[in-house]
Amino acid sequence: MAGNFWQSSHHQQWLLDKQDLVRERQHDLSILTEEEYQKLFIFFSNLIQVLGEQLKLRQQVIATATVYFKRFYARNSLKCIDPLLLAPTSVFLASKVEEFGVISNTRLISTCQTVVKNKFNYAYSQEFPYRTNHILECEFYLLEHLDCCLIVYQPYRPLLTLIQDVGPDDQLLTLAWRIINDSLRTDVCLLYPPYQIAIGCLQIACVILQKDLKSWFAELNADMEKIQEIARYIINLYELWKAYDEKKEIQSLLAKMPKPKAAPQR
Amino acid sequence: MAEKLRRYEKIDFLGEGQFATVYKAKDTETDKIVAVKKIKVGSRAEARDGINRTALREIKLLQELKHENIIGLLDVFGHKSNVSLVFDFMDTDLEVIIKDNNIVLTPANIKAYMVQTLQGLDYLHFNWILHRDLKPNNLLVNEEGVLKIGDFGLAKFFGSPNRINTHHVVTRWYRAPELLYGARLYGTGIDMWAVGCILAELLLRVPFLPGESDLDQLTRIFQTLGTPTEETWPGMTDLTDFIQFKPFPGTPLKHIFTAAGDDLLDLIASLLNINPLQRCTCDQALQMPYFSNKPAPTPGPRLPLPTTVKRQPEEKPSLKRKLLESMDGASLAKRLQF
Repeated sequence: MAGNFWQSSHHQQWLLDKQDLVRERQHDLSILTEEEYQKLFIFFSNLIQVLGEQLKLRQQVIATATVYFKRFYARNSLKCIDPLLLAPTSVFLASKVEEFGVISNTRLISTCQTVVKNKFNYAYSQEFPYRTNHILECEFYLLEHLDCCLIVYQPYRPLLTLIQDVGPDDQLLTLAWRIINDSLRTDVCLLYPPYQIAIGCLQIACVILQKDLKSWFAELNADMEKIQEIARYIINLYELWKAYDEKKEIQSLLAKMPKPKAAPQR
Repeated sequence: MAEKLRRYEKIDFLGEGQFATVYKAKDTETDKIVAVKKIKVGSRAEARDGINRTALREIKLLQELKHENIIGLLDVFGHKSNVSLVFDFMDTDLEVIIKDNNIVLTPANIKAYMVQTLQGLDYLHFNWILHRDLKPNNLLVNEEGVLKIGDFGLAKFFGSPNRINTHHVVTRWYRAPELLYGARLYGTGIDMWAVGCILAELLLRVPFLPGESDLDQLTRIFQTLGTPTEETWPGMTDLTDFIQFKPFPGTPLKHIFTAAGDDLLDLIASLLNINPLQRCTCDQALQMPYFSNKPAPTPGPRLPLPTTVKRQPEEKPSLKRKLLESMDGASLAKRLQF
């Protein structure tokens, strides 16, 4: 995404404080543990990813949708809107903002139905309950809670620039790119600017590939303490993944999740 | 949402376009006068697409932009696909000013409008945004003489080499030759061309190249500026809709703009360069001698505005109604002849 990050709404309004997140999540975290909360968000990020892939969207659109989703719940409790409705709504809004072309609502709903039935039946025994009118209503609600800030900067482009500077290395690029995708399952996109996330992901990729770029990193004019924080978030995610079987746990997590009072009707 | 509907008190109807209706309203919280653009819902099929995409473009871009010469988006409200955008209220626009025969535009006035247009556009281009629909009607002016670029319904990020754009942008009279030849990869040059046409229109007080079809548009461009060749515009013949025109020699600009000085003619020539790669950028334009030479641009509050702006702003719609009535009368008289 072009434009000027330093003057963007992303930089000025949407780099949140760790304290903000703790405060806003107080209600949800009185019901769920922090780990359970994160597991739920991993699940819904996966749902957005699968939906996006099924709709043949580019990763940029999927990433934007995921950030919309996370921004919404950074300011609201899970009981405000069922995340199963907000996830496709985020995809719908992101595809329009990124000028991907319109996904017709019919196609969106039918894709949701197929995906829930075929890929997430371990989580949902019933079929996808929402219709077009729910998505449309939710879309406006989402736009409002994003404070109309729709342009999201992603770490992918800074990563390309950094790799160019390191010297072309496809293996390194592919791995760092995948780590950025994984980072969408953590809070880093809410807390740190994308160029720092790119550096953090690149650093992890270097460690995995045993590539020594210490002197290159040392010359970067970046706040290395922040980069370490980002790396820690992502490594924690990998640690959590090791001992986590989503298929076994997700149903009870979804049951425990705070919900809107009334089930959708109409 | 209901409280927001009540927040803006409708004062007057301002106009209606293809996608929206615009009202003048008072923000009851701040007592500020604003313009509320209510997006039309359109067909049922369109309503199913949710928030209108044109509106979404304006929201996403204007949320990121803050500049004296760019229209400010103040608020967004609505419900479901029924969206309203709240903008700075602007009293008039360049189209009204150009068409108003009671207004004399001095060279200093024209320079003032050009400086403001180029500064706003420079900021847009600096942020990698193309406006894609510049015309006098979209250059809004308030009573302090501040010009702001408005209507971002067609605006888009540029610079991604893999993104194919449509060439069906910009109102025909302000459309650059590369767009008319079907270019899908284009840049800031298309906005610069439009600025050139607007400058010419400020000087002539009539549209500079009022083509009646896309073909006629190209004919007029080449008749006026000369038919380009592969030498003057390399790559031209590769464009998808290229057709060879008869070689017109073109008219010297000083014969068209007889009152313009050399510095102004230089500016026009570089804005209306047929070769998009040689057309000047905003930054280059603002560096040209025209802007540092005398006369200095008129300060905003001293710019001439239509009399309706300050004295009787309510007059406008009634005038329109009168015009409509007189038109009806004419058709009635015609019918009597049968």
